[in-house]
Amino acid sequence: MRRFVMILACVLIPSAVGAGPKAMVIEDSIEGHILPRFERLAEASDVLAQTAGQGCTGASDALVRAYRDAFDAWISASHLRFGPTEVEDRAFALAFWPDSRGKTPRALRKLIAEADPIGLSVTDYAQMSIAARGFHALEFLLFDPGVSSTGDAGYRCRLVQTVAGDIAVTAGAILKDWQTDYAARLRTPRAQGTYRTEDEAVQVLFKALTTGLQFTSEVRLGRPLGTFDRPRPKRAESWRSGRSARHVMLSLRATRDLALRLAAGDAAVHAALEDAFGRALTRLEALNDPVFAGVADPQGRLKVEVMQQAVDSIRAVVQQDLGPTLGVVAGFNALDGD
Amino acid sequence: MGQRTGRRQFLGGLLAAGLIPKPTWADAGAPAFLSAAARPDGRYVLCGITAPLEVVFEIDLPARGHAATAHPRRPEAVAFARRPGTFAVVIDCLQGRAKATLTAPEGRHFYGHGVYSESGDFLFTTENDFEAGQGRVGVWDVGAGYKRIAEFPSGGVGPHDIKRLPGRETLVVANGGIETHPASGRAKLNLPDMQPNLAYIDDGTVTEVTMLPAGMHRNSIRHLAVSAQGAVAFGMQWQGDGPAAALVGYHWQGGAMQVMRTPGEDLRAMAGYIGSIAFAPDGKRICVTSPRGGLLQTYDAVTAQLQDSRPLADVCGVAPLVGDFLVTSGTGVLQRMSRLAVPHAVPLMWDNHLVAVAA
Repeated sequence: MRRFVMILACVLIPSAVGAGPKAMVIEDSIEGHILPRFERLAEASDVLAQTAGQGCTGASDALVRAYRDAFDAWISASHLRFGPTEVEDRAFALAFWPDSRGKTPRALRKLIAEADPIGLSVTDYAQMSIAARGFHALEFLLFDPGVSSTGDAGYRCRLVQTVAGDIAVTAGAILKDWQTDYAARLRTPRAQGTYRTEDEAVQVLFKALTTGLQFTSEVRLGRPLGTFDRPRPKRAESWRSGRSARHVMLSLRATRDLALRLAAGDAAVHAALEDAFGRALTRLEALNDPVFAGVADPQGRLKVEVMQQAVDSIRAVVQQDLGPTLGVVAGFNALDGD
Repeated sequence: MGQRTGRRQFLGGLLAAGLIPKPTWADAGAPAFLSAAARPDGRYVLCGITAPLEVVFEIDLPARGHAATAHPRRPEAVAFARRPGTFAVVIDCLQGRAKATLTAPEGRHFYGHGVYSESGDFLFTTENDFEAGQGRVGVWDVGAGYKRIAEFPSGGVGPHDIKRLPGRETLVVANGGIETHPASGRAKLNLPDMQPNLAYIDDGTVTEVTMLPAGMHRNSIRHLAVSAQGAVAFGMQWQGDGPAAALVGYHWQGGAMQVMRTPGEDLRAMAGYIGSIAFAPDGKRICVTSPRGGLLQTYDAVTAQLQDSRPLADVCGVAPLVGDFLVTSGTGVLQRMSRLAVPHAVPLMWDNHLVAVAA
């Protein structure tokens, strides 16, 4: 309702309230995109923590369901990497991945082997290495045959509850910061603020979009693809719980939602984005390879590569068409980033 | 320019006939600087630039370049591919053509920087052992036609720039701390626990590793400048959220790292990103560029204070000049810092680094 009123106000009296098209895009992104996603994450994480109190292994259907819902909610917000998610490394505490050196299973095995008391307290666990926290740690505890069976079952059960409780605390803290502080910073740029101008606020949203898409292409798809001679199916994200392709789907839907809001002022760019996202999502569905196991054989690999190209086509539209309409144009060197 | 090309061809002919035993940089049109660039027609080139800012040669590169390094005596240079490239081209700046191509060994890629030994007998390149996630320095035998002969650890993850201390064989490496893997392009894989450092290497062994103060571990140390006196200045790229605490640092081997003090607004204007760094010839001033901030700044190396800050769109390359600095930009600007008010641009997009040729 609030968003509707705001948009209506902008449409009717744009100059009178000083709310130009950029202010509308920012407001719409906050109210329609950002806040609902962190609300959903906080709710689903609370449910996860409560459910873990009733059943604490991968054999509990209710827990697995709650885990999937909460992880879905995080992936759907995981491109929003600025402000509250970056305080005290909260985003990494929710999702430490990629874990190229295998720190998560190592940290968990050590905790379990020592029955470390830190694993018994949600409060204390906030001090734990981020590798042992969050959804990926929980995935090992629930779905990895090794980690989910090592050591004392009683301790493991408590550890699952602690990790779930810690996720809920982190998700709650992100939401609270957005609601009580950061939304206002983004909404109302000012000379001494985090954002000094509407352009800076739009830029951070644009950057969230581009880095979110980059992550999906280069990491979510690039990690399992590896090289032609050495594909790496076991580097797919969350393959243990069968969620790799689902994460690509959720992240594409989430970035599409943001991209279309940012393109609200330009019908042609809006249409080009819809088209590019639509093609990538259709291709993903047709791929029908939940954990990208296909990368191990040449034909399956080609399909995942084509999928990656579809995401890169979106990135090209975002960079070449959406960027200029938002006034975000980077130079030859500024864009190079090295 | 045509005359100069003619002179080079003539000299090249003499060289081929064995009439000139030892060509020098003077024979290559005496470029004082090298820079990679993109041409309006989309080709990528390595350019030689004279002290009066004349482009004396443009030599084709197979893809976008990053930095170059000049042989200390012979008129040849190595142009490195943009990260994570696997090629580097050795260019005969007299003949105006490639004389050798370096290919990174399997399991390695280049980072875009390299440096010659003092004698010019060896070339050192920063490389990524991407399965191990560890930095390496590759060693190439110049006399044997740039044959790969050895490698050693860079002392950290994600090495980027590499320089040599003056008059010695000690190498200094900026280990940026960021793990990447070519399968994931330039995606940063280890931001939460990245740990950049500055490493000194003697005879293939890391002899000193120095790190940033606590709380600054997300400041990737990327680019280096070494003064004639042996001080090392470094430019950083902030990987955290919000403003960086500092972007420029200074170090003497054996001492503690020092960061330059920049007032909040001036620091923020650099957008968390230093693209290139250079010392003034007397070692008393440091110039840094930020293409993202569209700004260049100079610092007093002694007091560690900001001296001035000037806008220039997409500025990146910077090299020392007596009493001044030479800067380049992606929009074609090639000008002395003191004369930036007078536009001087060429139809080239200058790439990241402007490298001085040892006189």
